[in-house]
Amino acid sequence: MTTPLTLTDQRRPDGTPVLVAEGEIDMSNVGEFRAAVDRAAGGGRLVVDLTAVDYLDSAGLAALFAHADRLELIAPPLLDPVLTVSGLADLATVHIT
Amino acid sequence: MGDADGTGPPELLFPGHGEMAGRMRAFDWAGTPMGDPAGWPASLRTACRICLTSRYPMFLWWGEDLRLLYNDAYQHLLGNKHPALARPGRQVWGEIWDVIGPMLRSVTETGQATWSEDLLLRMERHGYLEETYWTYSYSPLHDDEGRVRGVFTACNETTERVVGERRLAVLQDLGAQAGTARSVGEACRLVARVLGRAQRDVPFAAVHLRDLGGGLVPAAVSPPGTAPGPLPDGHGDWPLEQVLTTGEPVVVEDVVRRFGRLPSGGWERPPNQAVVLPLPGETGAGPVGAIVLAASAGRVLDDGYRAFLDLVARQTAALVNGAVAYEVQQRRAEELAELDRAKTAFFSNISHEFRTPLTLITGPLEELRGQLAGAGERVGEELEVIRRNALRMGKLVNTLLDFSRIEAGRMRARFEPVDLAAVTAELASVFRSAVERAGLDFEVDCPALPEPVHIDRDMWEKVVLNLLSNALKFTFDGSIGVTLRAEGGQAVLRVSDTGIGVPPGELPRLFERFHRIENARARSNEGSGIGLALVKELVGLHGGTITADSTEGEGTVLTVRLPFGTARLPAGSADRGAEPFPVSAADPYLQEALRWLPDEDEDGDAGREEPVPPATGAARARVLIADDNADMREYLRRILTPGYRVTTVADGRAALESVRADAPDMVVSDVMMPRMSGLELVTALRADSRTAGVPVLLLSARAGQEASIEGLEAGADDYLVKPFSAAELLARVRAAVKLSRLRNHHAQWRTALVDSLQEAFFVCDEEGAVVEINSAFTDVLGYGPEDLPYRPKHPWWPDEETDPEAHRAIERAFAQVVGERKGSYVTPVKHRDGHRLWVYASFNEVRDPDTGRRMVVGTFRDVTAERLTAQRETALAALSVRLSEAGSVPEALRAALDELRGVWRAPRALAVTWDGADRAPRPVAAVPGTAWGRPGDPVREAVESLRGRNPLHPAATCGPAGIGITLEHPGGPLALWVEASQERPFIGEDHTLLAVLGGYLGQMLQRVHAFEQQRETALALQRAILGPDRLPRGFAVRYEPAARPLEVGGDWYDTVELPDGRIGIVVGDCVGRGLDAATVMGQLRSACRALLLQFADPAQVLSALDRFAALIPGALCATVFCGVLDPATGRLAYSSAGHPPGILTHPDGTTELLDQGRSIPLAVRPGLPRPTGTRTMPPASVLLLYTDGLIERRSRPLHAGIAEASAAARRGRDADLEKLADDIRTGMEPAGGYDDDMALLLYRHPAPLEVAFPAESAQLARVRGALRDWLERLDAGPRLTQAVLVAAGEACANAIEHGHRHNPGRTVRLRAVVGADALRLTVTDTGSWKPRQPEAGAHRGRGLILIHALMDQVDIVTDEAGTTVDMHVRTTR
Repeated sequence: MTTPLTLTDQRRPDGTPVLVAEGEIDMSNVGEFRAAVDRAAGGGRLVVDLTAVDYLDSAGLAALFAHADRLELIAPPLLDPVLTVSGLADLATVHIT
Repeated sequence: MGDADGTGPPELLFPGHGEMAGRMRAFDWAGTPMGDPAGWPASLRTACRICLTSRYPMFLWWGEDLRLLYNDAYQHLLGNKHPALARPGRQVWGEIWDVIGPMLRSVTETGQATWSEDLLLRMERHGYLEETYWTYSYSPLHDDEGRVRGVFTACNETTERVVGERRLAVLQDLGAQAGTARSVGEACRLVARVLGRAQRDVPFAAVHLRDLGGGLVPAAVSPPGTAPGPLPDGHGDWPLEQVLTTGEPVVVEDVVRRFGRLPSGGWERPPNQAVVLPLPGETGAGPVGAIVLAASAGRVLDDGYRAFLDLVARQTAALVNGAVAYEVQQRRAEELAELDRAKTAFFSNISHEFRTPLTLITGPLEELRGQLAGAGERVGEELEVIRRNALRMGKLVNTLLDFSRIEAGRMRARFEPVDLAAVTAELASVFRSAVERAGLDFEVDCPALPEPVHIDRDMWEKVVLNLLSNALKFTFDGSIGVTLRAEGGQAVLRVSDTGIGVPPGELPRLFERFHRIENARARSNEGSGIGLALVKELVGLHGGTITADSTEGEGTVLTVRLPFGTARLPAGSADRGAEPFPVSAADPYLQEALRWLPDEDEDGDAGREEPVPPATGAARARVLIADDNADMREYLRRILTPGYRVTTVADGRAALESVRADAPDMVVSDVMMPRMSGLELVTALRADSRTAGVPVLLLSARAGQEASIEGLEAGADDYLVKPFSAAELLARVRAAVKLSRLRNHHAQWRTALVDSLQEAFFVCDEEGAVVEINSAFTDVLGYGPEDLPYRPKHPWWPDEETDPEAHRAIERAFAQVVGERKGSYVTPVKHRDGHRLWVYASFNEVRDPDTGRRMVVGTFRDVTAERLTAQRETALAALSVRLSEAGSVPEALRAALDELRGVWRAPRALAVTWDGADRAPRPVAAVPGTAWGRPGDPVREAVESLRGRNPLHPAATCGPAGIGITLEHPGGPLALWVEASQERPFIGEDHTLLAVLGGYLGQMLQRVHAFEQQRETALALQRAILGPDRLPRGFAVRYEPAARPLEVGGDWYDTVELPDGRIGIVVGDCVGRGLDAATVMGQLRSACRALLLQFADPAQVLSALDRFAALIPGALCATVFCGVLDPATGRLAYSSAGHPPGILTHPDGTTELLDQGRSIPLAVRPGLPRPTGTRTMPPASVLLLYTDGLIERRSRPLHAGIAEASAAARRGRDADLEKLADDIRTGMEPAGGYDDDMALLLYRHPAPLEVAFPAESAQLARVRGALRDWLERLDAGPRLTQAVLVAAGEACANAIEHGHRHNPGRTVRLRAVVGADALRLTVTDTGSWKPRQPEAGAHRGRGLILIHALMDQVDIVTDEAGTTVDMHVRTTR
């Protein structure tokens, strides 16, 4: 059983790319996630919407840390402890919805 | 029966040639419930063989009615009950069944052996109810199935010893009264008091004494207050007069017909036999009375009993006579005092009255001598004796008169000037013949003096003669000298001798009147002690002085100084008063001195015996006379010669030598004698047991109470004061000789009595030297009287070198003998021929009546056989105890070897079998320190030498000295080997002991082996019926059976995993315990399982179980708690058939009882509908189910037990479930363990999560899913859930990474367990993690940070097997 994960690239009206993830992110599918994040980042500002993510572990966090200085995260309260504890919340802009 | 070669079964089963073996072989066993011996259990057959081949009394009780099988030695103890083979015990021993029946029952019921020592049994085996004592043990006999079916007994009758010791104590008690009674009445009361304490042996006693009129009066009776009179129409009174007349005892055989019931002394029946015995008087006089002694009805009046009663009578007589003698003694002492007073008055007042009669004796005497000069020798001798003694008397009277004159101041000297040298030399010459006859030189040197000396001639005569007489008396060799000189204006007379001298302490008192030097060696002890005193007075009258110089042992010089001239002479007339008794002054002195010297016709001091008239000599008694006065010797000889053979000696020493050489019938001795006084003689005679019995009559001129008592205290039998009449002397001598003969008779009788004792007898002095023994002593030890005394260490002591243990034992015993007043001991001794035996000795301290010294009187007997039997029994009992604790054959062998080592103090011991396929020896047990060496090793050689020997035949081994035996063993032949210790060499008895122990061990090994096999089977079966092989997760159980060694009982627990994922839970309790309850339990448990699978509804299950249980005997009233649990939701449906309620403990510590769904126990009302209760277990709650063994205690209400169990569950609610189960089981356990079956079952909801998965990342989502579901059951909130998921996920990811890297394909395990307020997560893998390196920036490091941040406690342990991450997080944030 592989970990369920759906990744969708969207753009905000201002053209900012938004990566929408849905499902769980762990070691088994982090490669897919990392590729999607890298692609979406392009070289500018990056928004990742984790609202529908139930699980995020350190492998997923590592993919996000690579772009922390220009990352804006939209995350559910469930993930708040992980983001805070890992220190990502200090580097990136995090919106808890 | 039996083959000719003796190998047939009956000879094997009933071996030997004794009567009982024969009887048993010929017995129709098939006609008894015991059946054909071929079908007997092996143990019975073995016991039969042991019994028949033993010479000790042994027997078996076998079967329901305990039929008796016994050996020849026991047959004799059965009395007229024999033959009793195979008869039921109750029939044979009906009269003692109330005592032995319960003992036997206890043995057959408990399997525990009993031991009884000197137990009183009232037996009727010789036609009367008999008092008997026994020492025996009852040991259980098992059949082949291990049930106790019989009892094995080795016994020993101790009646003779017990009764004998008791009687001896009575005699000792009586003997201890000696010398205490002051009157005859008191003596009788003492006897009655002693016998009152001895009623078992003398139930009734009455002392009758003769009164002054010759009639009989009752003096004392025991027990006090009994006064049996003859029955009105009975057989008459005690035959007292007959006994007194004949002097012979009479046995009364019909006491009951004469007197009815006399006191029975504690026995069931009154005495019917009594002995009336005379009480003999002292010195052969007629009986002083008679004593009635009744015999206990419990003992036959045999020779031993008669002898005992006889001794009681004699002791009584001795006490009565002692009191009589005391009274007589008192009277005589008073008489003596009176006599002394009279004599004193006589001497002091009327001495001078002698003068007239003396004159009237000597005058006519001189005439007679002349007239009868030719009348014959005998007449001449007699006249000479009269003359000499008249002279002596006259001299004595004159001296006394001189004194009284001097004292009265009436002595008037007639001084005249004389040639003192001539006068003195003439006086001295009178003594020359006597001095020379005494073998002394006599030197007289009296040259003429320059001037005459004024003296009174008569007085000077007395001075010189007294001095010479004195010198001769105390000088035995050398010389006597007389010198006269003029020195310094004085005439100086010196009388010197080379005699015994005077001790310096005595010199100042030498001239004191009546002073005598005691114990001085002298030619005669005659003398009044006034000679020198008179000399001094006389010299004083002359104005002179006298002095003495003396060196003890060398001689004495007496110096008299008289002044020349008349200046110092007292003035006065020459009034001489009354004329002195007219005898020549010198003659008496000389005559007296001559009598001290040996007569020419006497053969000196060596003694002289009257020739024995041949016709009557054999019958005449011999009397030894000791007197230093030859006249007295002759006088006594003449008096005694007609009736006695007479020997005379001149002093005590000679008398003692004569008595020692050949004891006379009596000794007549003067008190005052040279060399050894009469008192010293008596003391010396009494101190020597060979001469202590010779009667002594003392004669003395010294009257007075003091002297008399002194003589009697020294041990003289009689005391006669001079003067005495011939008739008086003859009467006294006759009585004493009679007494002597009686005494000898007593002594012979005593010797015969002592010799007739069955027990060995000895007397020890205070140093422990054995001074007297009897013939039984010689029989037991081989040492005879010829080598007496035996001084310690006695020759029968075991050797200190070769047998130190036995040596120490006898040293202890000996210390007891010399150190304690009374006691008894058992000790090993060595017979003269070297063989070892054991003796039981008892001893008592006594005072030697003559010397007052402490002596020890003891008896002993050979108890070797008893001792060995007891030793065997003890060893068997100890072995039996050890083996009863052994659960397996090797354990039994180890225990047995340990026991054998203990018995023999063996340094090494070993058990070896040849049971392997190759038949090579294999050690199966050994005590520590025993090595089984290679082939050729001495121990190994010794043990292998045993192989092939007949079983149970002990053999000695050399090399290492030891003893070995072979046994049949379940696996094949077995040999036991025990090494000899330095302390205790092996002897014959050890072989027997090893055979007995080996036989028993063999039998027990068979049993243990059988038991072992049975137990293994039983354990397998038990485990199968107790509970499920595997418990579902989340459960813990504990079980305690009440009956060991069973591992099952009436309680059970069960879990059944139902097809729909639910779990059936059962806890039940059948009535009873042990195997019966367990079989019922097994059936109920199986039925309940099947019903759960069928219905899955607790109430339905129990209703169906009701119907099933009704069919099973023993299932009625079983209680059951049956539940069905949904582990996903925690919902529990349950029903209880009379079972105590389950306890549910919440995480916050509150508890509740599952008391719904309750109904009656099983099978009570089949068909009655049963209710169901439901409860959903909250997360982290704990369910406790149990049986009443956990909570039920005597005298405590059930709810108190439930409360205690609730409290225990509450305390441990956060602990690991297994630990909680342990805590409850041990916390609730009563002191001494559970006494009822106990089962308990715990479940904590939810059950722990356990996931195992391959180390692949693709598994993570599934694992998370399972963990999420589990957390949902726990009702964990989203934040906790997320924290747990992430922490577990990181740990699992780490495990996958490392596991993948190092051991691809290995398994990772996740376990999650809930506690009351925390979760515990454990992730285990087989890889090793790198330590956390945050600066490396790797996301794995970040994973660890997450774990630590999200969890409350994290422990990571990495070892060779892999890594374990242990995480705790609190659930109550």
